[in-house]
Amino acid sequence: MRGARSAKWVAGAIAVALAASACGGDDGDDGEDGASEGSGEGIVRIDGGEPQNALIPTNTNEQFGALVIQNVFSKLVDFADDGSTFTVAAESVEANEDNSLWTITLKDGWTFHDGTPVTAESYVNAWNWAANIQNEQNNAFWFADIVGYEDVHPEEEGAEPTAETMSGLAVVDDLTFTIELTTPVSYYDYKLGYDAFTPLPESFYDDPEAFGESPVGNGPYEFVSWEHEETIELARYEDYQGDNAAQNGGIQIQAYDSLETAYTDLQSGNLDIIRQVAPRDLPLYRQDLGEDRSVAQPYNGIQTITPVWYEWDATDNPAQVLQGVSMAIDRETITQTVLNGSRFPADSYLPPGVYGYQENADGTITDFNPEEAQRLVEEGGGVPDDRLVIQYNADADHQEWVEAVCNSVIEVLDIECVGDPLVDFATDLEAREAGEVQSMYRGGWFADYPLNVNFLKELYASYAHSNYGQFDSPEVDALFAEGDAAADLDATVAAYQEAEQLLFEQMPSIPLWFNAVNGGWGPNVDNVVFNSAGQPILTDVTVSE
Amino acid sequence: MPDALEKEAVPTAGGPATVAVVEAGPAPGRARSLWSDAWRDLRRKPTFVIPAFVIALLLVMAAFPGWFTSVSPREADLANNFLREPELTHFFSPEWLGYNQQGQSIYARMIYGTRASIVIGISVTALVLVFGSLVGMLAGYFGGWIDGLLSRVIDIFLGIPFLLGAMVVLVSFDTRTEWTVILALAFLGWTTIARVMRGSVISIKQSDYVVAARSLGAGTWRILLRHVLPNAAAPVIVVAMIALGGYITAEAVLSFLGIGLTEPAISWGGDINRAGGQIRTASFLLLYPSLLLGITILSFLMLGDAVRDALDPKLR
Repeated sequence: MRGARSAKWVAGAIAVALAASACGGDDGDDGEDGASEGSGEGIVRIDGGEPQNALIPTNTNEQFGALVIQNVFSKLVDFADDGSTFTVAAESVEANEDNSLWTITLKDGWTFHDGTPVTAESYVNAWNWAANIQNEQNNAFWFADIVGYEDVHPEEEGAEPTAETMSGLAVVDDLTFTIELTTPVSYYDYKLGYDAFTPLPESFYDDPEAFGESPVGNGPYEFVSWEHEETIELARYEDYQGDNAAQNGGIQIQAYDSLETAYTDLQSGNLDIIRQVAPRDLPLYRQDLGEDRSVAQPYNGIQTITPVWYEWDATDNPAQVLQGVSMAIDRETITQTVLNGSRFPADSYLPPGVYGYQENADGTITDFNPEEAQRLVEEGGGVPDDRLVIQYNADADHQEWVEAVCNSVIEVLDIECVGDPLVDFATDLEAREAGEVQSMYRGGWFADYPLNVNFLKELYASYAHSNYGQFDSPEVDALFAEGDAAADLDATVAAYQEAEQLLFEQMPSIPLWFNAVNGGWGPNVDNVVFNSAGQPILTDVTVSE
Repeated sequence: MPDALEKEAVPTAGGPATVAVVEAGPAPGRARSLWSDAWRDLRRKPTFVIPAFVIALLLVMAAFPGWFTSVSPREADLANNFLREPELTHFFSPEWLGYNQQGQSIYARMIYGTRASIVIGISVTALVLVFGSLVGMLAGYFGGWIDGLLSRVIDIFLGIPFLLGAMVVLVSFDTRTEWTVILALAFLGWTTIARVMRGSVISIKQSDYVVAARSLGAGTWRILLRHVLPNAAAPVIVVAMIALGGYITAEAVLSFLGIGLTEPAISWGGDINRAGGQIRTASFLLLYPSLLLGITILSFLMLGDAVRDALDPKLR
């Protein structure tokens, strides 16, 4: 299934997407339309799939579940297209002087879909529950910055929590609570934009399992039904207090096994919006649907090939060799041909829509330069065994570009290069976690929050969970620490930008290209806009009756 | 595939037609044997000569691909060759049939892909012939509990759907070479031959010349190899020839499904699979390998048919 491969990072993307959607909603809804009145009754049918986990915000970390969570729940803050934040459910999010204590004030008058009011306790209790190790929530680690996290989520195997609640969370009054962090984080408001930081109603705690089948949130849509592997239906929540109230009657998420089928359905009028067309349809979809009913724009994702250092340490100067390999890849041609313009050549470790992006951060390392590539590889001691193996998951469309990258490398460096397809994303991840990658693996990352920190620390800090290449650089770790301790957001971003420059000297991975969204919609719907996370802003979509 | 094999196999196995052939087989004088009769008959038939010629050509292509094209099937140039249309007037040049999405010559890949198909087809057939014949011969000749046991084993294997079984076996291998595919197909394919051989042997072991050989004190193996096998071989060979086309198809189907040969092996099935993604923009990617695959399979089937007709006096 497509869902499985995307795992956490896609979830992140969607989180961001929806965030942005909220932002888009702002523009249209303020003023004459009147946000919560809602005009259209029509239902928007969009492609999706079977969520992997129960529909609890702190447990959902793949794209299909996130699509539901994002619409049923409203977050405290969300992100604009330029990577800045704005509030949604929060009235304000403020830090103290050293960024260690954050005060959240909620907007008044919000209710859950069951009619109960959303209060500070709804948030604090939900996060305490999710962080508790006994509740086994996938996204529990998102709360790790909060004081008292280790008491409810001890590190050691099999350890029991010593507390029920995190001492860092304190309710001030009905609409105010504070978050105390173990170490100052100048960009904590960015983290608050992730799906996990949502409230839960009282009814949740009676039966979390039932809730997972039928979530009750505080968002613009209320949950109606979930016919497994078929459809999920959401209806507009009439009492929604936010600015991004739905302009349509609801959403029907249809599960598809293949994007090709979804595309065919879109063309025959059985689907209104497709979020991404299949590679097969890339060459012609803009012609098929028309320029005004399709979109091709970059969004916050990056594709890399990442060396595993337990293999690459065998050569004299791995970083130099990897720089050479990077220069041996003709990104421009591959994105134009094999990828049909669905990607944009990368010149940085993070995409342009992310706050902190530095244009051409790499200097010349991602430029195609055969002579320099040969020189660097030779001087650096050569690719281990003169053989590159690029591991990827065969359940998604990676084969063609992996092969094209290999052909480019073979042509320039005259070494062996093959793809190593593993049957699905889960198997791919297992091999990465077990340290069984032969040489390099395909790495993909989508923004959890659009800040350069997210693209660097989560992947290249020596202690990062997703650092499957086992890259370990004290200098880089030090810069990350410096950035985390910085007094304000700009200082943090600057430290991380410095770290990014350093990464190009140490090459923990080879950036290939930034993702693009290639979506389309049918004649039934209008006002379909895709945000910088590559997701359509569903609340704004209008349906012609 | 299993269906096609079955259809050919069943009448030959139990049917009196082929049995009759074999019994009538050895006429006096070398020149008038069943095989020479068949050959005289065949060499005048276009349905034999044409496929035989095509197959000969394919064999040469498989053995010496370099004779047919100067470029490597892996040589890729995205910048100049991405999905370039065929230039059909440039006979046998690399650009003749166009370039694929990696900028590789489709013509070169077709030529080099022949080897996988031919090697797999012939190897599987050979393995199946040897093993299937052996089992069939033992079961048919000895009868009794040996026959009972072997026949039940054959029944068990026949119960496994051919392609589905091959998939199950192949999926468990991460890297699959030609030998993995050959063994998987042979493992599941030998039963048809064994059945045909068993039927054939049962009818032959009662013939006078076998009885005579036995009464002269010939050993079991001598009887089997000198008297039974040569006379029981005709229907088996016909079945095997027709099955060969089936094995080539099976390889292509498995590669098409992505569980046949793995990269960097070049196979028609794999190329056809990948061409599917470009069908609207570059249908020639799909057309040429499919065409060659079709011609190859048709040739083997026609050859098998022609040989069967020649060996069956009723159809002469």
